[in-house]
Amino acid sequence: MAQVRIDGDDLVVEIEGMNKLWAFKSRLTVPLANVRGATADPGIAADPKGIRAPGARVPGVITAGTFHLDGEKVFWDVRDPAKAVVVELADERYARLVLQVDDPRATVALVENALIR
Amino acid sequence: MVRAAVGLFGGRAYDGVSVDDLVSHLGVHRNSLYKTFGSKRGLYLAALRRHLADDVRPLADALAGAPDAATALRLVTSADLGLLVLAAVERAPVDEEAAAEVRAALDAVDRAIADALGAPADLAAALTAAALGMLVRGAPGSVGAALARRLDPSV
Repeated sequence: MAQVRIDGDDLVVEIEGMNKLWAFKSRLTVPLANVRGATADPGIAADPKGIRAPGARVPGVITAGTFHLDGEKVFWDVRDPAKAVVVELADERYARLVLQVDDPRATVALVENALIR
Repeated sequence: MVRAAVGLFGGRAYDGVSVDDLVSHLGVHRNSLYKTFGSKRGLYLAALRRHLADDVRPLADALAGAPDAATALRLVTSADLGLLVLAAVERAPVDEEAAAEVRAALDAVDRAIADALGAPADLAAALTAAALGMLVRGAPGSVGAALARRLDPSV
């Protein structure tokens, strides 16, 4: 589970709960200028994720860590696909973040509204 | 691909179009969808702008040559404005950028009607609103004709 908030000109993602055991980092800070958008996307969990390194994947239980797909680095922290949100980045180490959040609709609105301003 | 998104977003509610729907209907990989548009909303705005350029601007051009209110009403009610109408109803209230696009498009339609009929801006806006209402209701042509008779008694 991830907490997503806006702190000034930054998007701050905090990974919390038991996923901390698996994910490589527990906090990501990205300048909003490098955030391109956020989308609720329950279907993404069914897609091929690529090759994991480092991080952990216990099939059917948890997907967390860094995955490499088509030359891109994607950060995953999803246990419940229904609550997956995709945050697309530019000029960052990760091309995108796939996060499980409490309220996907609210998280998408938070990020998209921060980008309009 | 954006054109296909116009059809998808114009046919059902924004929340009813999932990324899975977009991926399967547009024949694009999920990754490239995110890389190109940033988000579902980014693709939506691109589709809305394409709809306004491809469908609404030609309508405004046609309206500029309308000889009377009956023709103006007929042009609007027979146009393909599905995405514009949905955007006005469900996205404009919650998305400033979508709201600005919708406003600009409707203003252009108002202006074209005002110029063509020599009507005041308020009356032109009322005609646009009435025509969109007829479009949403699926009102028969006799409804527009009845309104036009009041406005163009000579016709």
